[in-house]
Amino acid sequence: MRAVYGIVVRELVRFLRQRGRVLASIGRPFVWLIFAGAGYAAVFAGRNEIDYRVYMAPGLLGMVVMFGALLAALSTVTDRDAGVLRMVLVAPIRRGTIALGKALGATVLGTTQAVVVAALLLPLVHLRPSIAGALLAAVAVVLSSLAMGALGLALAASIRSLENFAGVMNFVVFPMLFLSGALYPVRHLGPVLRLVAYVNPLAYGVDLLKHALLGAWASAGYGGEMSSWLDIAALVGFAVVGLVAAAPLLAREGGVTRTAFRQRV
Amino acid sequence: MTAAAIEARGLGKDFGTIRALEQLDLDVRAGEFFGLLGPNGAGKTTTVHLLATLLAPTRGTARVVGHDVVRDDLAVRRAIGLVFQETTLDRDLTVQENLRFAGRLWNLPGPLAVPRIEGLVRQFGLLERRDDPVRTLSGGMRRAADLARGMLHEPRVLFLDEPTAGLDPRTRRSLWELIGRLRQASGLTVFLTTHYVEEAEPCDRVAVMDHGRLVALGTPAELKRTTGVTSLEEVFLARTGHALGETGAG
Repeated sequence: MRAVYGIVVRELVRFLRQRGRVLASIGRPFVWLIFAGAGYAAVFAGRNEIDYRVYMAPGLLGMVVMFGALLAALSTVTDRDAGVLRMVLVAPIRRGTIALGKALGATVLGTTQAVVVAALLLPLVHLRPSIAGALLAAVAVVLSSLAMGALGLALAASIRSLENFAGVMNFVVFPMLFLSGALYPVRHLGPVLRLVAYVNPLAYGVDLLKHALLGAWASAGYGGEMSSWLDIAALVGFAVVGLVAAAPLLAREGGVTRTAFRQRV
Repeated sequence: MTAAAIEARGLGKDFGTIRALEQLDLDVRAGEFFGLLGPNGAGKTTTVHLLATLLAPTRGTARVVGHDVVRDDLAVRRAIGLVFQETTLDRDLTVQENLRFAGRLWNLPGPLAVPRIEGLVRQFGLLERRDDPVRTLSGGMRRAADLARGMLHEPRVLFLDEPTAGLDPRTRRSLWELIGRLRQASGLTVFLTTHYVEEAEPCDRVAVMDHGRLVALGTPAELKRTTGVTSLEEVFLARTGHALGETGAG
């Protein structure tokens, strides 16, 4: 398992070296808190029961996890372009080990970013979780990072270049964010969108975070909407599906020969 | 001693309707310096990728130091080093960090990897640049670092796929001196692909490849004698009907 450790260490070193990426990941939720928070707070139907910025907090943490883990996993595309993936593929390790290493790297990055943001965000909105709540939030963050990392990896292994990245952002990241319950309760959505929300891994992560952090508002209808066990099971399920799908796709790197050959013939 | 480093029997690979490699029969002896000479698109890289288990063969079998490339792919990858045409180093990490990363991928414990990395950066003239990001290195130094990466786990067979592509003549020469020293020191088998005739000249044996087929095999001297010419360039022309520089219609 030294190889998994090596892959995770590389992800961390690379992340910490990109100062812009670090600042963006810490700053992004606060930009949403200030701008989206201010606007939605005024029109939020439940504003007599809960401060909208408090309601947003679990969703913002979910968002940090999503960007953190997904961007880390999508670095696989750059690895492929830069040739680094080939160094990994020619090493005497299984494809599954590579997938696990990349997904765990994404988990570590997503979790670390969420912990840093939580330490700043929760005091700012005067949200003080119980010890049990904080522990459950930690479980939610780790599992969501793993699920996002694994699915992101499957996505990264199947897209050919970073040019497709904008498409990923528009058609995967934003719908996932809006249908996650991060900004408004999913139960207010129409039946079709609500159905889509059920296949959204972030929805389960955010729901579990609401169980953890908004327990006090559960009776008013702003806590988690599904059972915590369902959330946990769904996140584990997404992680497994992502890893199983990503492993063989990574080996498609062999296709490098094929593209090179086509260019020349 | 005479155990084969590489044995290929009817090895072939198709990409869709393109037959990249027809049917290759090849034996490379342990400790041999073997050259695969041919123009771009001849199937050289495909051959290396098949032998290195990065591609699955469409037909035939191959064994590398006795391990089957399909059934025992991990054992094959453990026994070989592979330096690709383009660098595989992480440009944002330092030379040292790249080698540490490779050490972990090859499951070398720290106490084993650290002195070995130390020795390699010294031997390859990278000592002063070891803590610089790879992207700041010259092309020649990057190649040397790639080679260090390929040698870190002390492979028995080293594949060099067009290792000097894009390097200036002086850097090329110093890279060849380095590879020569490695061979002498460890009895390493080297499998080289190249489209430069002068790089195939010092090989023990050379296989000439064109359009996915072997067209000639022997020592450089044998090839020239049997073809009745004085250079490998002419050997290629005589056996294929076109010059090495031309890719030919594919």
